[in-house]
Amino acid sequence: MRPRVLMTTEGTYPYAVGGVSSWCHVVVGGLPDVAWSILPIHAGGRRPAPLFPLPANARFAGCVELWCERMPPRRPAPAARRRQPRPTLPAELARTLIGWRGDLGALVDALSWCRANPDALRPTFRSLAAWERFVAALLEIVAAREREAGPAPPLDAVDAATLYQQLYWVARTAAVPTPPCDVLHVTCAGWAAIPALVHQRRHGTPLLLTEHGVYVREAYLAAARGGDDAGARFLATRLARGLTLAAYAAADVIAPVTEANAAWEVGLGADPAKICVIHNGIPAPLSWDPPPGQAKVVSIGRIDPLKDIQTLLEVADEVGRRVPDARFEHWGPPTRGQEAYARACERLHARLGLGDRFRFMGPTSTPEQVLRDADLVLLTSISEGMPMAVLEAMAQGRAVVATGVGGVPEVLRGCGLVVPVGDVGALATAVATLLRDRAYAARLGRRAFDRVCGRYTQALCLARYRALIGELAGGAPAAAQAAA
Amino acid sequence: MRLGELEPDGAAAVVQARLGRPAQDALEAAVVLEAWAGLPADAALRLGRRVRLPADGAAGVRRWRPGDGEGRQGVLAEGVALLIAIIAVAAWAGPLGDALGGDVLEHALKVALPTTLALQWALRSRYLSRRAGLACLAEDRLALVALAVAVLAGLAAIPRFGPVAAMLVAVWVGGTVLARRGWGLWYGGLLIVEAVGLELGLPALPSLLVLAAVTVVADVVAIATASGVALAPPGRVSRALAAGLIGGLLGVLLIGDPSLGWGVHGAFPALALVPSVVGSFWGGYHLWTLHESIPRGLLGVELARASASMPRGPATSIVLGALARLLGATVVLSLLVGLTARWTSGTAAASLFVAFACAGLVCLFVSLLESLGYVRWALLCAGAALALELLVAQLAGSAMAPGTALIAAGTVGTLLAIAPLVGLLRTPGRVLATALWIQ
Repeated sequence: MRPRVLMTTEGTYPYAVGGVSSWCHVVVGGLPDVAWSILPIHAGGRRPAPLFPLPANARFAGCVELWCERMPPRRPAPAARRRQPRPTLPAELARTLIGWRGDLGALVDALSWCRANPDALRPTFRSLAAWERFVAALLEIVAAREREAGPAPPLDAVDAATLYQQLYWVARTAAVPTPPCDVLHVTCAGWAAIPALVHQRRHGTPLLLTEHGVYVREAYLAAARGGDDAGARFLATRLARGLTLAAYAAADVIAPVTEANAAWEVGLGADPAKICVIHNGIPAPLSWDPPPGQAKVVSIGRIDPLKDIQTLLEVADEVGRRVPDARFEHWGPPTRGQEAYARACERLHARLGLGDRFRFMGPTSTPEQVLRDADLVLLTSISEGMPMAVLEAMAQGRAVVATGVGGVPEVLRGCGLVVPVGDVGALATAVATLLRDRAYAARLGRRAFDRVCGRYTQALCLARYRALIGELAGGAPAAAQAAA
Repeated sequence: MRLGELEPDGAAAVVQARLGRPAQDALEAAVVLEAWAGLPADAALRLGRRVRLPADGAAGVRRWRPGDGEGRQGVLAEGVALLIAIIAVAAWAGPLGDALGGDVLEHALKVALPTTLALQWALRSRYLSRRAGLACLAEDRLALVALAVAVLAGLAAIPRFGPVAAMLVAVWVGGTVLARRGWGLWYGGLLIVEAVGLELGLPALPSLLVLAAVTVVADVVAIATASGVALAPPGRVSRALAAGLIGGLLGVLLIGDPSLGWGVHGAFPALALVPSVVGSFWGGYHLWTLHESIPRGLLGVELARASASMPRGPATSIVLGALARLLGATVVLSLLVGLTARWTSGTAAASLFVAFACAGLVCLFVSLLESLGYVRWALLCAGAALALELLVAQLAGSAMAPGTALIAAGTVGTLLAIAPLVGLLRTPGRVLATALWIQ
């Protein structure tokens, strides 16, 4: 019988474009011998329309729409079996998720109660008793002193209400029913882990966690750059940390896409024996063509603070002074919710007077062609796992200049230039060097092409996931070693 | 010195330089050291744990960030349109009554008013009170057209007064959509033209039919040309149905008192509605700010007081402000309408003004309950008020002063609605966390 796998996603597949979504699509479509159920979690807003058609071996297992107005699912149950509200629930969730030393067993207990009692969630969270107990718990958390945690900033009533609402949605996410499955595949260690944690507790199903970026690291970076108040920053990062640690603790196998992520996971307390690095892969390229020699620099990625598009613009400005005929194109839409950042980028573009020297091209459905038309590919991200854009550029035989984040240095070893994050001067120097020395750029591109063919093909990636899922579905304890 | 050889103090300085503040915790220090100082993850995590953290949490300055919901644009125009609508309808009463017969008009009004309120409440709940509500409405156009046709055809099928009721519903509900689109003054102009036409002797039914048709066409244009995309989904259907039911009950409440004599006494009692409608509009508009005023008022209120009772806190202030506006405007305008009654063939009966003020009060508090998510309680209040009104009207018969049943119903409905609100509004932190933000 085909193994049944429940894949949970957060803000990605199939409703948003990006590297993680593309990866999900490849894995789901590339393993036709697996029966996939997809449970996407997304942040409400516009009525979602899938951007990736699900293949025949996949179906939706529902959709968690955070912050929406829909009521929790109702369960037909005899009156005698109906449970009463649990006024301690918000306080329990706060202690286990926001506290520095949360009891993860207690967290999963509380989440499991949410699954069993979806009808009781709204009355629970709307009750005075629950709110009062939650505030008392939050006061304890704030007062707790941990050497590594540092002192909490002074929180106010709005911070408390904001967190209370978030915990309500944690509970609502836990309450979403999950279909029977043999393996739980969680695609990031945040909200996507919540339904899986409950399913695992109820049915003992093995849990496979794939991390592209390190969820908690990206949450800290976003908070650091987001300009939020200290209280909002504190709560957002603590919540991300709580979810991440719970996911690490529950996972039977953690499959980061790069060794750099594995170091974070171990550093955050994940059992090294669980970790099994599976690199991203792309379709094996057919042939290598030399770059067109038009001094065109291309970047591909969402317009998002994590991609540091503002540095990209400044690099374009700096390169323009050194190589006047250089042209830059950025392909990719703004991340939903980052429209303000996109507008800030447009303002910076205007202020720098880049004009046609740097063009925002919007989304592309033919990244291969875009990359083939480039002489050089540039990546300025401040956080990455193993970026598909870099692999795709390498597959097209293009030299890459990238910041040394996540798995980028490992992938580009010997076939690209890696510079520090946010270092406009170094990035511009690298880009200008390769634009001027086209032979060197072509040599790097050729090496990149060969490296992708040898190490980062889709076939390799899929084979490892097939083996891993097969082992997990079969209940073998040494799944990670088998896959490795 | 290489970054890998950083000591904790040096690392703290790097973090401070990057963030513009000390690290919040060891993990944040590690993230900064890895992302911006080039340390490998394991080294960054080790060093992050050794970075000295500040002794006290950074207080920072709380800044209020308004929500991204649309404000109510053109409120004054919307209010003026409402006023014109009531006066115009008051002006129609005579000619329509003469042309159709007072009995037909009265029955048409008694059906049209609750139906209109039900549809308006439902539309507001699902679409019109929301961001890009018209865009959401446009996305559901097929279902809405089917619903509109069903409602209007159902009304029109009622013998004698049904077609008139259907036309009135089309005009009034259509006007709500036009006001939301910002075309309220144009809509008011249409109503005035209709009133003038009727006074000049235009045939009543055909001209009302033309007005209804023009309103519906204008609605179609308004929705089709509304800017923006449906960034947020519309409200849930069950909530809209409940809101529609509440609106319908309140509509029946308005016409349930037989002493009001809808449609048979010239401009009476439509003009008597003006004070309470204007007061309700003003009070309701003030109440609209509740979603922003409470978090703004709670900003900086320390966590220990988050669940504390604040009798003079932001929630109570807003509701009392709305109440004062409703009562103040109603009293002043009632006096004005009463004093000018001899020139407007209206009424000077004080009990009627009190009755409509009571209706305004119950509408205000019931709508507050509904907006806070206490839908069942709001239904109970509206239902209980209506039941009492019908009972009083049955018992007192024609012996009572005009509006007595409505006064009794409005008073009881208001008291029932206030009961849960008193405890709730006293703790604004709870209102925000458990009612406004968890619906």
